[in-house]
Amino acid sequence: MDIASSRNNQQREIRLCLAEDAWHGRFRAMGSPCELVCEAAKRADALELTELIAQEAWRIEDKLSRYLDGNIVARINSADGKPVGVDDETADLLDFAETLYELSERRFDVTSGVLRRVWQFDGGDQVPDPQSVRNILQYVGWHQVDWRRPVLQMPRGMEIDLGGIGKEYAVDRCASLIRTRDGSPSLVNFGGDLAATETPRRRRSWKVAVEGDAPEEPERMIDLKQGALATSGDARRFLMKNGVRYGHILDPVTGWPVPDAPRSITIAAQSCVQAGMISTLAMLKGAAAETFLDSQDVVSWCRR
Amino acid sequence: MSRKEKQSISAALAAATCSLLGAGIPAVVDAQEESAWDFNTSLLYYGEDEDRVQDFSVSAIARRMFVDDRFLTLGLTVDGLTGATPSGAIRQDVAQTFTRPSGNAAYTVPVGDLPLDDTFKDTRVAVTGGWQQPVGDTSLINVGASASREYDYTHLGVNARFATDFNRRNTTLSAGIALSIDSLDPVGGAPMPLTAMLDVGDTGNRMGDQDKDVLDLVLGVTQVVSRDLVVQANYSYSKSDGYLTDPYKILSVVDGTTGDTLTRSPTPGVEGPSHQFLFESRPGERTKHSIYGQAKYYMNGKVLDASYRYMTDDWEIDSHTVDLRYRIPFGTDRYIEPHLRFYTQTEAEFYQLSVPDSQPLPSFASSDYRLGDFDAITAGVKYGWKTRNDNEMSIRAEWYGQSGTVPANQIIGNQANRDNYPDLNAIIVQFGYRF
Amino acid sequence: MNRMIGLAVVVVLLSAGCSSMGVEPWERDVLAKDEMQLTTDALEAATDDHIYFSKEASSGGRGFGGGGCGCN
Repeated sequence: MDIASSRNNQQREIRLCLAEDAWHGRFRAMGSPCELVCEAAKRADALELTELIAQEAWRIEDKLSRYLDGNIVARINSADGKPVGVDDETADLLDFAETLYELSERRFDVTSGVLRRVWQFDGGDQVPDPQSVRNILQYVGWHQVDWRRPVLQMPRGMEIDLGGIGKEYAVDRCASLIRTRDGSPSLVNFGGDLAATETPRRRRSWKVAVEGDAPEEPERMIDLKQGALATSGDARRFLMKNGVRYGHILDPVTGWPVPDAPRSITIAAQSCVQAGMISTLAMLKGAAAETFLDSQDVVSWCRR
Repeated sequence: MSRKEKQSISAALAAATCSLLGAGIPAVVDAQEESAWDFNTSLLYYGEDEDRVQDFSVSAIARRMFVDDRFLTLGLTVDGLTGATPSGAIRQDVAQTFTRPSGNAAYTVPVGDLPLDDTFKDTRVAVTGGWQQPVGDTSLINVGASASREYDYTHLGVNARFATDFNRRNTTLSAGIALSIDSLDPVGGAPMPLTAMLDVGDTGNRMGDQDKDVLDLVLGVTQVVSRDLVVQANYSYSKSDGYLTDPYKILSVVDGTTGDTLTRSPTPGVEGPSHQFLFESRPGERTKHSIYGQAKYYMNGKVLDASYRYMTDDWEIDSHTVDLRYRIPFGTDRYIEPHLRFYTQTEAEFYQLSVPDSQPLPSFASSDYRLGDFDAITAGVKYGWKTRNDNEMSIRAEWYGQSGTVPANQIIGNQANRDNYPDLNAIIVQFGYRF
Repeated sequence: MNRMIGLAVVVVLLSAGCSSMGVEPWERDVLAKDEMQLTTDALEAATDDHIYFSKEASSGGRGFGGGGCGCN
């Protein structure tokens, strides 16, 4: 294990090591372990590419994080009913969120983040009472948001949470950066949401292990030659009460977890954002997830 | 929502993503779940000319991968053998009659023909099983077992192999051991060595079941020489003990001057051999040493595979084998691979064409052409292609020919006028499918 | 027999001398190809081993001796 520290910040450290026939550059971002698997010839090249994408990942994290004061998300969420002007990148993300709201028949909603105030998916059995859920539901609903690019205005008490798109977006941006730079074939993997910059040269395909219930035993192995993968699942985030499992995907219309959602959906698509969104849309369909996926002509794996 | 509306979701999503990410998204998705199972199957036809041996064979190897690079391998082969094989007796200018190995019937060989024994309709089933797993970071171990059964032969074996990498995985050393215990129950019973072929119904010179044990050791080193070249060298040791004779092979007893096979008359009222024949006899032990070297060289897409093997044993057989394959790819998913193999061996110390009655009986004698002095060539071509779902199919056709010589000092009298060594001409056709 | 031992010793010494030969892990792209494996098709190799064991006096070399049948 080789440690190449490129920042003073303790949390923002890059590690580079060689495994078998590729370099692995690792760092933490957006609450996940992030990795670049890179077929660079020289260590210096692999380090350079890792630093490049780490900077981009941290930039996006800083921009969209709920926990930082002063970034665009904080300004929107503390606007107290007043209009906020946003930059191009945020505007693109909001346009995308709006399209998804319509495509999903209001089930994908970036204003639903407030529901976390009553739902804590920690594996325990603290299911909220229906009245608390009803109370918080009044602050959920994109239809209440006035979005006219580049100005966003929404009622006091509502919040925007771009966490549902942020990681996949970062993966695609980083993959693009490597492609534009003509970097070696690489796999950008942010905590299971990943994209290949191109087909690998040293092996037949990128090998991806999709996590299952047991930590050491992957649920399936996927050979990825080109494209991106995203997985939605409740492996760690759920509640269990009276034998009923409550997955963490909440239906913004009812305020409750989507009933009969599959345990795990993995999608392969051209970009990580697409893969992530289709897997989320499928999850939101609950029992009808497989039917939805069949009709979409995508490569998907579903586990119940 | 109608199907048309449903389909437009992913199309609309793709368009929305394009707006978000801009250009540069790859157009193609290629992702497949890795199958835990791997299969390698084949159909084989082997056919010799002149009514000799024909074999149809179906084989399959299934391999299942487990977490952490562990593998289970299972193999099954079923062979159906028909046709006849040279019995070891020499041609004559008269017809010859022989008693079948079972002792229950007789067969006659026309004038001038090479005597062939066609008691060979047989089905053989063989199974193998193996387990492979890593040991530490740089080594692996393989253990396995094998068994086969045909009507007169049963085989049981175990094997193990250990291999370790070092020098940044550029060098691999390996050591393997295999043990077999085989038992034979020849039709009619194994004949006592160097006793006469008797009349039909007379099993006076037969023995019971026979055993054969074989120990094999292999030591090897594999070395990556460069980005395009890998070489391997192996040393093998093999020791066989027990019944190594072929219970169905015979030798003709000939006149020491004319070289013609001595005649005899069967007991009145009974069928039996028309001439004098002795059952062969081989030593009860055999020790073999081989060294083998192989190189695989990549030349701009084409691959040359060249190997050489030298074998020597205590039956005084020496052999050399040179094997060459050259794979030429076409496009991304097809290839053609011509193949040439040269083989030559010297005869066993106890090989002799016939048994002259003017000399004392030797301790061991066999006229089996497979222990004689011969050269062999294999020439063939293999064509392989990838199917639509990324599986591999291949077909190969080869010609295998043997041509041998009898040492001059073994040719007696009239034998010089005849074609004594049963040359071999065979074709091999194999179809393979891996998925 | 002594000749064989001598030959085996030479092979081992040669391999020991190869300790600095080889490629870096990231130069193994060609070597990883299916067609560059020492045995490309295990079933074809087993078939050939079996045919030649039945028709010739030698066997093995690449791996174990083959055999285990009544064909020779």
